[in-house]
Parts: sequence; C-alpha cells; structure tokens
Amino acid sequence: MEIWYNYAAQILVFAILAVSLNLLLGYAGQVSVAHASFAAIGGYGMGYLVQEQGWSYLPAIFVGIALAFVAGLIVALPALKLSVEYLILLTLAVSSVILGIFVAFPQLGGTYGLIKISGNSLFGFHLEHKIDWLLPTGVGLVIVYLICWRVGESPYGRVLKGIREDPLATQALGKNVFAYKVTVFAMTSAMAGFGGALYSGLLGLATPGVYGFNFSLTIFAVVIFGGMANLSGSVFGAIIIVLLDPFLQRVLKLEADKAFVIQLIVYGVALTVLMRLRPQGLFPEGFSVWRRLRHGKQQTARIEMNAETWVPDLDVKIREGDHEPDHREQGMREARWQDAEVVLRARGISKSFGGIVAAEDLDIDLRKGTITALVGPNGAGKTTVFNLLTGFIAPDQGSVVLNGTELVGRTPDAVARLGLVRSFQDVRLIQRVSCLQNVMMAVQEQPGEHMVPLFAGGSRARKGEDETREKAMGWLRFVGMADFAESPAGALSYGQSKLLSLARVLATEADVLLLDEPASGIDTKWVDTMLDLIEAVREQGRTVCIVEHNLHVVGRLADHTYFMELGRITAQGTIDELTGSERLAEAYFGT
Amino acid sequence: MFARFDATTVAQLTANGIFRGAAYGLLGVGFALILGVTGRFHFAYSFTYTLAAYLAFTLRFRGPKLPFWIASFLGILLTAAVGVLIERFIYRPLAKRAGATALLAVFVAALGIGIAGQNMIALFWGQATQAFYGPDKKAWSIGSTRFENFDVWQTVCALALVLILTGLLRFTGLGRAIKATRVNPDLATIIGINANHIYLVCFAIGTFLCGVSAFWYGLQFTVEPNMGQRPVIFAFVVAFLAGTARSPLRVFFTGIAVALIEQWASIWLSVRWTQTAVFVILVGYLVSLSLRGRKLADLLPFLRPAPTKPAAPTAGS
Repeated sequence: MEIWYNYAAQILVFAILAVSLNLLLGYAGQVSVAHASFAAIGGYGMGYLVQEQGWSYLPAIFVGIALAFVAGLIVALPALKLSVEYLILLTLAVSSVILGIFVAFPQLGGTYGLIKISGNSLFGFHLEHKIDWLLPTGVGLVIVYLICWRVGESPYGRVLKGIREDPLATQALGKNVFAYKVTVFAMTSAMAGFGGALYSGLLGLATPGVYGFNFSLTIFAVVIFGGMANLSGSVFGAIIIVLLDPFLQRVLKLEADKAFVIQLIVYGVALTVLMRLRPQGLFPEGFSVWRRLRHGKQQTARIEMNAETWVPDLDVKIREGDHEPDHREQGMREARWQDAEVVLRARGISKSFGGIVAAEDLDIDLRKGTITALVGPNGAGKTTVFNLLTGFIAPDQGSVVLNGTELVGRTPDAVARLGLVRSFQDVRLIQRVSCLQNVMMAVQEQPGEHMVPLFAGGSRARKGEDETREKAMGWLRFVGMADFAESPAGALSYGQSKLLSLARVLATEADVLLLDEPASGIDTKWVDTMLDLIEAVREQGRTVCIVEHNLHVVGRLADHTYFMELGRITAQGTIDELTGSERLAEAYFGT
Repeated sequence: MFARFDATTVAQLTANGIFRGAAYGLLGVGFALILGVTGRFHFAYSFTYTLAAYLAFTLRFRGPKLPFWIASFLGILLTAAVGVLIERFIYRPLAKRAGATALLAVFVAALGIGIAGQNMIALFWGQATQAFYGPDKKAWSIGSTRFENFDVWQTVCALALVLILTGLLRFTGLGRAIKATRVNPDLATIIGINANHIYLVCFAIGTFLCGVSAFWYGLQFTVEPNMGQRPVIFAFVVAFLAGTARSPLRVFFTGIAVALIEQWASIWLSVRWTQTAVFVILVGYLVSLSLRGRKLADLLPFLRPAPTKPAAPTAGS
C-alpha cells in the first residue's frame, strides 16, 4: 500500500508544480524551463534546515518558499524584457547555475545532495510514512490551485492573456506589462518552491538528480498535456504522468529501469504528437469538467453570422442622405478647431534612426472635441508620430504635454493611463479571448487587476468586474457589436475587428484617441458606419487624431489637417486648402 | 584544490580551451545556422548529436562492419538526413499550423523529440557506454603542454568546415539565398527563393556539423545515450552569445572564447565552479541585453512583428 500512497502524494506534488507553471506558461505565455530549479531551491532550503539545523517542517517550508520567491524575483527582473527564445535560454542557464551552486556547496551534500531529510513534525503530526504526506500535499494543492485559479480567471488573468498574445497592444491599453510579468514570475516561483519543499519532504531527499533536467521536462510535459491555461487539465496531466510508471511496471510488467526509459519515450512522443494533433492539450483553454458534467455538452456561444450581410446594430443616428463632404462646412469646422482648447501640445519632436530622419521638429496641437487628421504620402512618418506621442518610441528631442503633464520619458502604459490611447493600423486584437473580454481589458482602474483587492478586498473585485462588464457591453453596443460579445476576436471579419478595436480604444475612456487608419481595409459600405461612430465620439467631447489615406474620409471628418512629408509637417489647414495646392497634390499623388 | 597560476598550467589550460572550444564552436555554428535562418528552436539537436555517434559506431562495429572512416562519414550523413526529415515532417507542418506561436510549438515538439530520441537510443543500444575506437590515440606534446592527436585533428577539421561554410555563404548563390532567407523569408520568396528548400538545406548542414562534432567526441571519449545533453547546451550558449545571424567564423571563435573562459576560470575557481562560471557569464550577458532594451531585434531576424491578417484593399481609393 505504501507505494500507492507514494504515487498519490507524487500526483499531488506534480499537480502543485504543474498548476503553478501553468499560470506562468499558459496564462502569461512566459516559457520558463527553470520551474524545477525553483522547486529545487524550495526543496534544498527546506531540506538543509530540517536535516542540518534540526528545524521543524513548517518554518523550513516557509523559508524554502521565501528563497524561491526571492530567486524568482531576481531572475524575473532582467529575464522578462527578453523575447521567447532568449527567455528559454536564460531559464536554461539559470537552471544550470542553480544546480551548479547546490552541487558546489559541501554543506548541501555536493553531488550526493541531502539524503536524510526526516524526523520532524508538522503541526504536531509526525510525517514518518508516505501516507502522512497525503494531507499536507493535498492541502498544498488546494491552496495553490485556488490562488492560481483566482489570479488566472480574474481581470489580472485577462491582462496576462493579453500579454501572452500581444504585449505591445496590452501595454497600449495602459497595463504595466513589465510589472505583471515580474509579479507572476516571482509568485509562481514561490509556489514552485512550495512544491519542491513538499517533494523533498516526501522523498526525504534533495539531490541534483531529483531536480535534474528530466524533472523540469516532466513538469513542462504535464502542463502541455493537460492544456495551457487550463488548471484542472494540469491536475489531470499530473495524474496521467505519475500513473504511467506503475502502469508500465505492473500492467506491462516491465523492469523498473526499462519502465523509466519507456516512460520518457512516451512523454517525448506524446509531446510531439500532441503539438501536431491537439496543440491546445487534452483540456483546452476555457474547457471546464464541472460545467461539462452539469450542463452536458457546452454550447458554443458564438452566433453564426454571415459577415457579408451582417450590419452593425447602431444606437448612433446614422446621417441619412449623401455623405459627400460639404465644402462650405469645412470653413466652419476649421473655425471651431481654432477656438477649441488645446488638450495635447507637441513641440519640436524629432527622431532619427541612424541617418534616417523619421520626424523633424514637429509641432502638433490636438484640440478638445475636434478631429485632427494627419495625411501624407506613404513613408511620411505618420504612424511614427503616433509612436512618438504615445511613448512607444522615445523622441530624441521635443516635448509632448497632455493636459499640463509632460509625456516624454514615460512608458506607453503610463501615457495610456494619463489619457492618450492609440489604436493600431493592424488592429492587434487579442485573438483567443472573446470580444467582450477584449473590450473589458481596456477598462481602466479595475480593482481585480491588483493582487491586494483580489485576495483581500472582499467583494470589491467582483463588483469591479460587474461594472467593467457593464461598461464594456456599453461600448460593444455603441459600435453595434453586442451580438458578438462571446465570440472569440479571432473569428471576426476584418471590418468587424476594426469596429471592435474602436470599441476597445473607447473603453479606455481616454481623453485623446489616436486612430491609425480607422477606415482602411474595410468594406466600402462600412466606411460610413465607421465615420458616423467617430463623429459620435467627437460629439462626446473627446479629442481624436486620425491617420488616414482616404481623402474622402479626411474631408468628412477632419476639423483640421496636418500634411506630412518625409518626417516634416509641411502644411496645415482644411483638407480643401491642402488638396487645392498643386505642389501638395503632387507630393501626395505622385503625379 | 586550486590550480596553480604558472606558465605551464596556463599554457595547458589554453590548449585545452582551444581544443574543446573548437568542438563547442562547431556545434554552435550548426545550431546558429538552424535557429538564425529557420527560426526553429531545435532542441532535438542533442538527439541528432547522440544519434550520429551511435550510427557511426553501429556501422563500424555492428551490422555491416564498414571501414572506420566510411562508417563514420555515412553515420554523419544519415544523421543529417534525419535532421532534414525532422524539419520536413515535424517542424514545418507544426509551424504552419501554429502561426504566430510557432516558436513555442516547435520548441515543445523539439523537446519531445529530444527526450524520446535519447531514450529510444538507450532502449535500442542499451544504457551502457560504448567504446568507439578507430585510429590509434597518440599523446603529443609541445614543451610541457600535452594533448592528443585527435585534439589537433578535430580542431583542424572543425576550422576547415567552418571556413568552407563561410565561403559557401559568402561566395555561392546558395549561400546568398540562405542569407536572404535569414534576413527576410517573405521577401526572399518574392525574388524566387524557395524558403522551404533553404530551411531543409540549413537543417542538413547544421545537423552534419553537429554529427561531425559528435563523431570526434565519441572518438576521444565514449558513446553513451546522454552524451548530447551538455555539449548541446554549450552550443546554445555559443550561438546566442555570438548572435545567430552572424558569420560562422564569429560563432566559431565565440565557442573557443567560451571554452577558454571555462578553462582559465579553473585558475581562480575550484573545478566544481568552472562550468557554472560559463553560465553565470551567459546570464550576465542576457541581463545586459535586456537592460540595453531594443537591441535584440537586430540580432535575430525572426523577431519581426508577427504577420497579421493581410490588409484588404483600401476602401474608396
């Protein structure tokens, strides 16, 4: 029987490690192969204190967790600015360093490790037999699972998914991507340390062999098998992987050493085959065993719609009749622009890349409740202006002042939180989450995006989430996309995704919106819809700046137009004045 | 415990470093070619390493009992073919399906192939180490610095292969096509280069270099199922330190530099710290990279923004 208790306790420990790795790998998309090394820190830390210093388990486990947390923090700070392949490499190197350090210390048993971790009590229980470990490991799994579930399925987890899919777009919505990554890395490292401390306690060992590369791979395999961003999948994966060993030994009657080799072959082949046939894992993201059992087959919430014939269901009154720009009206709009208060004032913005001047001494004003357009030939640097204003590219010189606050030197997420938000020409929605979640992500100041309200805020996080959903639905309705709330953003047509990206920008409730080609690439019959929406946004008193190639669009929307050529602003005024100039028409159309 | 700091020791350590570095360098060149051009994080590189040694061993001492050099060459060629098959039938379809997350999908699959492959070798040939011997091992020396004939042959062989590859990349049409694909596969396709073929060529060359390195390792030491793990991690280190888009010569000399650091470190550090020292340097390098921020994009060609939905024609134009 003892052996089965051992397997059961192993399942629980592997589940702890896999569930915590899943938060990092599945939700936040950070590929770390060092999870086992953080477990090793917890295991060695606990083991040393118990074996050499005669501590009891409980304080020793806490020290193990704390050590792993600190190590995770130290690794996370530099690691998380790196791209995926460098992160893999760094975590690989960190694993080697951590194990190398353990082996190098004679106090930690050198290459033999700590092999007599035993004898003490936990809460008065004597942990002598394997069965005694079922309770602490079981409780441990429940705690870790609840923490990971709480974080993963909250607004916090939504941001993590955003980071996984598109860190840049997530940052553009005002999320401090770096802080999220570091927090989640350190947190999951601490949980790995906890798992490692329990594992070493269970085995009575902390050796380089136990925490070697195979261990790391096994945890990684459990997460991939079970399904990324699905915590119950990780528990299920742990059960399968641990039980593979008795299955091979007892059912197929293989000798222990052969069973070990075959086990690893099975992991390896299964990983490869799984990536080919079912990359989402056994339990895909969003799949829930409970819901499946209680409600039978889950209905797909997606409403099948023909993107060709679908029409946005708008609250905004669409202007009837012809949408031709009214040339007399332009003068009035220009006058309104001149009278409006300046919200964003950019002065002397310059940027060069090597010898190439992308922006030279730009002065731009955006005025309250008006639409300003940036036009110019391809390569004039219009999108670069957006990047410079929002902090995605730091200008070499100049200043950008929004409502009296200097923006130069701030990160894009800080700029967004101050009320200057941009959209992307290539939309950049978070493809694998629903349209509603995409918009909810943009809502600012959600209590559920911070750890303290999440765990110690009572119902604050839930109330905040209800409010957020309400607001996001409002914006989805505003762009006429309410029917698609539950559809994944990746399923939308291009025109629909442009509408959704507008809703997402609006949901930030930023004062100033920079829209990068809002009407480009969408069906002609939708262009007017989009323009109506943008006009409605202006009516709300928000400040809009658009980059646009289509002069028809500019003519209808713009109160004031800047003309850019080769990184400089060469003219400004109404669009008619600009297109009236022979020289500019030539620069623009190249004729 | 500490090596003494005198001229003899330093000379010996330097010689060790150069010989060992040639092996790291050659492996690094192969890995950098694969990663730099195809963007595949080819973790199964350790499997092909081990496989090459085992195939050469089998062709020489089991089954056909071919002459030593023929068996070795054939073993390495077969392994190169395995590398090509992995790319063609596993990585390529995976990457195509995974789209923007291709790097992770390929990495996981490669990890799987690596584990499964190594253990299949263990199952098929047994866990025990095998002696792979060919020409006689001779001890040579210059002054008090001692080494083996294999050390020299291996270093010369590695350098020659790296020079050939450098020449290939610089002076032939194929080489220019490889470099074009490395910089921008889409653009390369437009000018008529078949990027898929180039990927296969890179896997063939990279795996061949990996096999050569394994062959020399087997000849000098022994052949065993987990022989690929450590050297290959060093290959990763070398490739990343040098930059995967750099010339093979640069990668090769980075390999030598890494091995020299590892050897010289034993002057000041006790032996058990020296391998850790290399990784500490790597970590330091990666930290400095991340602090410098945006420089990464220059080093790796596949960091270009992920392709999004193709832009539809502009409305109203």
